[in-house]
Amino acid sequence: MHIPDAFIPIPQAAAYWAIALVFIALSLRWARNEMKEEKVPLVAILAAGIFAIQAINIPIPWGTSGHMMGAALAAIVLGSPFAAVFVLTLVLLVQGVLFGDGGITVMGANILNMGVIGGFVGYYSYRGLNAVVKNPYPSAFAAGWLSMFVAALVTAVEMAIAGTFPLELGLLSMGLYHAVIGLIEGGLTAVALYLIFTARPDLVHEASGVVVHG
Amino acid sequence: MDRKNLIIAGVVIALAIAVAAPFIASGNPDGLESAFFGIFGAKEIHGESLDEHAAASAEEKVTGITGNTFEFASPFPDYTLEGLAKPGESLVIALGVLVVLVAGFGLGKVLTRDR
Repeated sequence: MHIPDAFIPIPQAAAYWAIALVFIALSLRWARNEMKEEKVPLVAILAAGIFAIQAINIPIPWGTSGHMMGAALAAIVLGSPFAAVFVLTLVLLVQGVLFGDGGITVMGANILNMGVIGGFVGYYSYRGLNAVVKNPYPSAFAAGWLSMFVAALVTAVEMAIAGTFPLELGLLSMGLYHAVIGLIEGGLTAVALYLIFTARPDLVHEASGVVVHG
Repeated sequence: MDRKNLIIAGVVIALAIAVAAPFIASGNPDGLESAFFGIFGAKEIHGESLDEHAAASAEEKVTGITGNTFEFASPFPDYTLEGLAKPGESLVIALGVLVVLVAGFGLGKVLTRDR
């Protein structure tokens, strides 16, 4: 879902940068005020792992592929949507600058879509679902799927504003592909959460809204 | 496992994914690219095959629409290292993992320092 430079006019790209910078500032404030020092290695490893898994595009039907975004996972494990903004900003910065994956002028839009939308949708849908389902793994699966799907629809709207995609066809094709790619996101979010909670049971208590079983 | 071993395990897993990535990743266009090629006539939305010629002209067309001609020469475009095929890709993705790791750790330490 990494938007390249050519897809958005520069004035609009600048507007997305401005919005993204507000959330980046808030994520830095989260790190300063809420992130515990002993969590720093976990945050760094999550960011590095998300960077790595984003390099694996998994084939889906229709000659297309997709990879995990990781925003929902970061937000759930670290207990804040701003954690996802923090982690995804780092990942997108390295991807854009070192590897040309995602544009530079449009990096704000990519941070907004994957970090902010992905993180907020992932975190709050997880909280809401887990309060009802009381099982973190199906909740994480659904939250991962939704984070991908909503981020894709927002991207389609941005493409329509840019004049790159017609709105209806953009929503339809982005929605179709990412409804499937969302299954990858949901599956990997649930599996990664299970592995992390197994290795660090203390995090289960800290990931807000999680009810501990057994 | 104690904390130190968990940190080592996490780093090893991230690096293992990085090294494996070029060998297992699909070369198909991603969801956004596929939608783009579909809309610009280089591929059917539900189709499997991509018309490479039409894909190249789609990229020209979109620059004409948005006027965004910004180009940036990244050191490892598309995760490649010139002269080295897949092993080179493994190497630069692993390098990316280490950059993210060090940057995340450093930034985290700085931000949590004065408490």
